[in-house]
Amino acid sequence: MTELTPADERFVAFDLDDTVREQAELDGHTVEQLSDYLDRGRVPADPRIDDSPECEIALRGLERLRRARQALLARDLERESLRADDWVASILDNITLEAHAGRDIPLTHPSPTARLVVTEGALRGILRETGDSMQNMFVGRCVLVGDVSVPGTPILIRVDVTVFPGENIPLLAERLRQAMYAALSRYTELVVAAIDITVSDLHALPDVSVREMER
Amino acid sequence: MSGTVRDQVASPLDAAADQVLAERAADGDLRAFEVLVRRYGPLMRVYATRVLGFNDETDDVVQESFITAWQQLGTLDDGRAVKSWLMRIVSRKSIDRLRARRAHVNIEDTDAPAPESTAPHVVAEVESQTEALARVLADLPEDQRRCWTLRELAEYSYHDIAFELHLPLSTVRGLLARARKTLLREMEDWR
Repeated sequence: MTELTPADERFVAFDLDDTVREQAELDGHTVEQLSDYLDRGRVPADPRIDDSPECEIALRGLERLRRARQALLARDLERESLRADDWVASILDNITLEAHAGRDIPLTHPSPTARLVVTEGALRGILRETGDSMQNMFVGRCVLVGDVSVPGTPILIRVDVTVFPGENIPLLAERLRQAMYAALSRYTELVVAAIDITVSDLHALPDVSVREMER
Repeated sequence: MSGTVRDQVASPLDAAADQVLAERAADGDLRAFEVLVRRYGPLMRVYATRVLGFNDETDDVVQESFITAWQQLGTLDDGRAVKSWLMRIVSRKSIDRLRARRAHVNIEDTDAPAPESTAPHVVAEVESQTEALARVLADLPEDQRRCWTLRELAEYSYHDIAFELHLPLSTVRGLLARARKTLLREMEDWR
């Protein structure tokens, strides 16, 4: 090849059917190999690819394709974000909270024939709301360990919490613990032996991937 | 606690990491789930549209995907992986639709309805690379487009694509290679 890509001729490596020609034109490589190489961020560096002008041309094409793909995705996402919000409502209307109700936790009642319960799911909701009413933290998973169905059985509660940077973690955890004890005693008759709070993560911002995607 | 939908208000949870949201949603927190729906629903719609073409099935597929997700969130071990987990669900649902459509019509190579990007008014004389890519993608044979979409939008491995589509790995490689080469060849003209 005297000239890399004459303007009047397509780059022959992109011939759809001829793998032999493809490899011959790409110094023994295929478009798939080059694409995988690009996906790996061109590391570890492969001099047989990096030093080949033909591969470089193909890689530039693949990079351009990648940029166009990202731009297309961004455009499509923007179009989606401009839609009316009713699609969210229609999804939420069609899910049932029962799926996460969990076990029944009995409450005593003066009448021997009445049976009162609060569901585990509702109780987890109360614990979450207790955390949400406090600043600079997110309550994550709440687990009730022990037999909540038998009144008087001591149980353990495990709570995952994300605390924002700069907070006094022990102080915040203790305030949360006290607030949760208070809420539990207000709404249930559970005997809570302990509330274990695990501060699992200090990141307050969404995942990096999300921000990249939304850009 | 009722399932009524709240008005869209900026919630502190909007800033929460995927893991927190996934775990709260698995515990039954509808607000956390709503944030996930808003965060990843658009991407899932874009994805389903690429696989299925522009039609009213996309809404159904995305809705079904989130309903399944809500029911099965407890099985997700690592909340940080919720995005790829959701993409996997919407991929499966989309592929199921394609199969059902095919079984119904009983023609092996029925293509998706023409995406709107091929509408004449969109094919302007001077088009951006983005629009050109949308058009070339739309013109790809369905099996190539599906492989490319799984690979490039849903970030599936070759192996996972083969598994999901019930195709030999060699076939997936061949379809992807053809899709890439077609796209690259078309792009030669864009410079």
